[in-house]
Amino acid sequence: MTQAILFRFAFQFSILFLLGVVTQRSALAGKDSVPDWVRAAARQSLPTYPATTNAVVLLDETTLTVGPDGHAVRRHRRAVKILRQAGRDEADVFVQFDKESKILALHIWSIGPDGHEYAMKDNEVLERGYDGAGGLYDDARYKMALAPGRDPGGVVAYQSEQRLPGYVSEVDWHFQENIPTVAESFNLELPPNYTYGAVWAHAKPVAPIDLEHQHYRWEMKDVAGIDLAHVPMHPSGRALEGRLVIHYSGPGMPLVTGSTWQSIGEWYQQISKDRLVASPEIAAKASELTAGKTDFYDKSEAVSEFVQKQIRYFVIEMGIGGWQPHPAADIFKNRYGDCKDKATLLSAMLSTVGIHATLVLVDTNRNAIDPDAPSMFGNHMIAAIEIPKGYESPKLKSVVTAKTGRRYLIFDPTWEKTAFGQLEHNLQGGYGVLTEGADSQVIQFPVLSPMLNTIHRSASFQLQDDGSLKGNITEKRFGDVSEMRRDLYTSGNAKEQQEFLDHSLQQDFTSFKVADVKVENVESLNKELTTTYTLEAARFGKTMGPLLMVRPRVFGRQDFDLNHEPRTVPIDLRQTMQVQDDYSIDLPAGYVVDEIPDPVSVDMGFASYTSSSKMDGNTLRYTRTYTVRELTLPAERYGELQKLASVISNDEQSSAVLKKK
Amino acid sequence: MISSVPLAHRRTLFASVILFALSSLPAHADQWTTPTQEELSMTSQAGAPGAPAVYLFREESTVDHLHMYSEYVRLKVLTEGGKEHANVEIKYVAGGDMGYSVTDIAGRTIHPDGSVIPFTGKPYERMVVKAQGFKQKSKVFTLPDVTVGSIIEYRYKIRWEDNMYQAPYWIIQNDLYLRRGHFSWFPTDRLLTTNDERGQLASTVAWTPILPAGAEVKNTQLPGSNLTHDGSTQIDLVVHDITPSLEDEYMPPISSLGYRVMFYFSPYRTPEEFWKGEGKHWSHVRDKFIGPDKGVKAAVQGLISPSDTQEQKLKKIYAAVEGLENTDYTRERSRTEEKAEGLSSVHTTDDIWDHRRGSSDQLAELFVAMARAAGLKAYLMLVTNRDRTLFLKNYLSLYQLDDDIAIVEIDGKERAFDPGSRYCPFGHLAWKHTDSAGMRQTEGGSALAGTPSESYQASGVIRVANLKMDETGVATGKVDLKFTGAPALKWREKALTDDNETVEREMKEQVERMLPGGMDVKVLSIDKLEQYEEPLAVSLSIKGPIGSSTGKRLLVTGDLFECNSKPTFTHEKREMAVFFPYAYNARDAIRINLPPGFQVESVPADKEVKLAKSAAYDIKATADGSGVTIRRNLLVGEIMYMANTYPDVKAFYSQFEAKDQEPVILKVAGATQAATSVEDITLPATKSQKP
Repeated sequence: MTQAILFRFAFQFSILFLLGVVTQRSALAGKDSVPDWVRAAARQSLPTYPATTNAVVLLDETTLTVGPDGHAVRRHRRAVKILRQAGRDEADVFVQFDKESKILALHIWSIGPDGHEYAMKDNEVLERGYDGAGGLYDDARYKMALAPGRDPGGVVAYQSEQRLPGYVSEVDWHFQENIPTVAESFNLELPPNYTYGAVWAHAKPVAPIDLEHQHYRWEMKDVAGIDLAHVPMHPSGRALEGRLVIHYSGPGMPLVTGSTWQSIGEWYQQISKDRLVASPEIAAKASELTAGKTDFYDKSEAVSEFVQKQIRYFVIEMGIGGWQPHPAADIFKNRYGDCKDKATLLSAMLSTVGIHATLVLVDTNRNAIDPDAPSMFGNHMIAAIEIPKGYESPKLKSVVTAKTGRRYLIFDPTWEKTAFGQLEHNLQGGYGVLTEGADSQVIQFPVLSPMLNTIHRSASFQLQDDGSLKGNITEKRFGDVSEMRRDLYTSGNAKEQQEFLDHSLQQDFTSFKVADVKVENVESLNKELTTTYTLEAARFGKTMGPLLMVRPRVFGRQDFDLNHEPRTVPIDLRQTMQVQDDYSIDLPAGYVVDEIPDPVSVDMGFASYTSSSKMDGNTLRYTRTYTVRELTLPAERYGELQKLASVISNDEQSSAVLKKK
Repeated sequence: MISSVPLAHRRTLFASVILFALSSLPAHADQWTTPTQEELSMTSQAGAPGAPAVYLFREESTVDHLHMYSEYVRLKVLTEGGKEHANVEIKYVAGGDMGYSVTDIAGRTIHPDGSVIPFTGKPYERMVVKAQGFKQKSKVFTLPDVTVGSIIEYRYKIRWEDNMYQAPYWIIQNDLYLRRGHFSWFPTDRLLTTNDERGQLASTVAWTPILPAGAEVKNTQLPGSNLTHDGSTQIDLVVHDITPSLEDEYMPPISSLGYRVMFYFSPYRTPEEFWKGEGKHWSHVRDKFIGPDKGVKAAVQGLISPSDTQEQKLKKIYAAVEGLENTDYTRERSRTEEKAEGLSSVHTTDDIWDHRRGSSDQLAELFVAMARAAGLKAYLMLVTNRDRTLFLKNYLSLYQLDDDIAIVEIDGKERAFDPGSRYCPFGHLAWKHTDSAGMRQTEGGSALAGTPSESYQASGVIRVANLKMDETGVATGKVDLKFTGAPALKWREKALTDDNETVEREMKEQVERMLPGGMDVKVLSIDKLEQYEEPLAVSLSIKGPIGSSTGKRLLVTGDLFECNSKPTFTHEKREMAVFFPYAYNARDAIRINLPPGFQVESVPADKEVKLAKSAAYDIKATADGSGVTIRRNLLVGEIMYMANTYPDVKAFYSQFEAKDQEPVILKVAGATQAATSVEDITLPATKSQKP
């Protein structure tokens, strides 16, 4: 969170002013007319879409013109038709820019549902920074406009011309989005002696039309939208949406990326190598941290945990600074930086103690990076620490072997609650670009064992004959499933911590008291986060005449919501993990067990679930184990997931029936 | 409470005043403070357990003759979360005649061992928004090497143009504990005029304090005189040990009313003068817009008949206004669009009627105009929305008022109407406008007034399920829902802002969340979405498991509609009053017909629970040869319960929420009778305001 000091008078004024802008918008508009391409797009007949389709892209046309010096200009035309009231936002015009990618021209037109045509004036376009989006140091801005006539049946169109940053030679054409598209195209215009490479992410390749004279055109018709708004357990849209990646190069360009992972890695190393240089202060700190340590793991862990915990993270993205890290010496001195800064400092520090580490470009959305489509596409940077040849240790979990045979321990110093040696769940199974000079390549991250991401709840209770329950609870969490709680217990205040526990128990008890809460190992990521407390719950057992109903699965829910809609997109199970519950309930005197729930055992391959309720003297014992072994499933296995959800839900609600003697 | 001080006028001894003004500035604000050993070593703050950070000291100062505001902060980082306070962002309006500049940014970090790391970087200037010559920017800086235990110290100044004066607004209480704070203002002695169209002479400095006991704004008359109007008054406030703002579920809308002092240059000397003067002006301006002029008069003549009673006339007018497009639920059109449609600019309610659309406030004004045109006494009222904040008479600002409603006299009795809330039934108000207050028109002027409350009978939900269960525990059947009052308005507004498809999807999702997991829910119909005087009716088909099996028994949650409900109140103690949006009633009836061979072994015992005279609950389950019927009623007649009654409120909710979870126990045995069903439920006719 950023501490925002609001100069209140200024703020109040600005709000009023903006309201004025909105209400007076278009007041200066003169005689309006729209270009023929907009009219033509608006006139075309559309396929029949489901009633829930918000809007449709009538036309989306991008032309990339590369100059002889390698600088590129992108011209973009887009026309969107609003199909329903809820789709009005789809027609809002947003064009992002920063100081390296200046907007040279922007024209906006619209046609209202009544056929009236509008052209917006330049002074009707708002310019905004990314306020409150976490990017405190971010020079990205956008031009934004709400066009007249933006009602169901209306069409909003714009044409922009924008210079691209000179330090990149890749452009991505995102031809698939959350709403359907009728027609779209990408045009590439290269100067003589320039070449290009094209790869396709999450899509089958489409051949370009050769327009001669180094002009090429790719066309798409009737591209379906990927609307994930109401799809449970869906992958990220970035992992599904198709895109064309173009790399171009020519004699005027000193630094280029090509359609190989090697070139991507080499490009990144070019812009980051000077930043990886360690200062004497860095060396001294690394030496201090590793003093007395000789083992590779121990040394790496000491340095990694320092960067993970002592370098404060926040976003710093300005111009090429969105790609290029700050010098390691500055990061170390200020003790803050973003992901690439943290990975850079880690690499620099390790280099001073004889350990090689390099940077890995990743995306926090699993499978957003397509291994078949070399690209700079990604939103995060982590580190790959080279493991000495022949070194083995059971502590090394997140290990990748490159095609060179060199092994790397993958670690993300930005993820503050993931233990060294492991990898956060959203990166597992996905891909990243290992920047290692000529050996740069795409690597796949391992899917870690469920045993590295565990919840173990145990409790012993005493049930009274009025249905009230009393007992001691211990909950142990290890791995990513402890992340949120570790964060709460390091950063949250006492009220937030109490409210969290209350809300989690609220899922299973209608009236309860918690006391003697103790939390251990909050900062020790390689130890189980252990929470203990005592609980008193009124009316837990339901007295029904001579019967007393008791839920053996006293607390802790693992059920999940699915819908009954046909499944078309893959399933993201989020993380591998194992949950174990072990509860005992001493039953009140005077009652005997009439029925207890049947044992449950299902194994779907990707996950398994077993539970058992047993009597041991006058004690009812409940145990269960729920294991998730895989991260993603094809859509066809949705039925199996529904069955698993049903089994878990039924088991969690099952009751034992006690009867008065 | 409000306090005021007439501005002093011309002073003499120019030099001495200047000298005093300078010397009276907080001298230490330009120096860093040496931390005490206790500050360096502290790890927590009594009164704020687990606090991420604490303000050791915060100082704000506004000096009018320098056209300058300054802030100085000393903040101790206590947890990892507190490190975020090392990022500082100062937003301001840049450039132009009304522009500000941020200067003199300085800062440092002090480690627990006393070592000091100065901030040596250059603040980053960020564009926030730019439009038509207006720019809002922010200056951003980050203090270096901040660790848990660090003291963060920074200061800056904001300066503005020489022709501008603005009264400060001190926010004393925020999300962090404040050990000590000093706030000061050196107001100008110049005679100022307000920058609105009236240009009134603002001869008084006034303030509204919301402060803890013992804290007091001090007004010191400075010695000497002032030929240059640099200020002969110093206003100060010193506070200490201010706890963070409270946040709680179901809390009154007072989060924007933490400890603070709101100042104004004012043409008025008392709240009475303010509301009288501003009310008169407001009423006059609104009346000019309302009219009614000839367009509205003609429209009304076409709507009503001379033989109509006053209520009949008003109902016809209300229906006509409700039938217009309310642009708050769609969108406001630009002048360009209006021109394209051949519509004139909006100057009076005639134009609103002519355009066939308007904002909520414009439609309320049109309603008043039409009522007047029909010969009724009708007034506009500007109310504070209760979903946002509470009306404070002593806060002399019209900004606390939000929406327009109408007051019309029918048969000698004044009644409130809400034509700006699309689909609000005749004679009712949207809940955010009930139990509130504001400023209303009166014959020849204005007055402060309250708004009426609504009975629990005005808002409610009826849920009826008729189900047939098979041998596997899967139930198939129909669910009928009827919404009245506030819940109906919510869904109807959703249909306006989105559309019927959205209502259908969200209705389905809501019912899925209500019912046992795995239930397949389909919306069959949504009726009366636009017939705002009638209940909104929704029918759904459902199919899915409704119980859990124990082998020879099947346990079904008694009130299926409540099977996934979570307790409303879990905390043992509460400092804040409990506050609900509106009083309401909820009535359920569930009939489950059993398959042959199933028998009801046990049903939840009948139960009634009451909370004094303000809330009541009852549940009744009856079993017969063919199945079981459960009926449940919940009536909540009050919207606010003081904190000292929280144990009773919690006990009431805990009791019935536990009762709701009691199961119907079914077992396999014997033959069954023919299936039956429950009829729709109607509320008993009663005028009682309380259950």
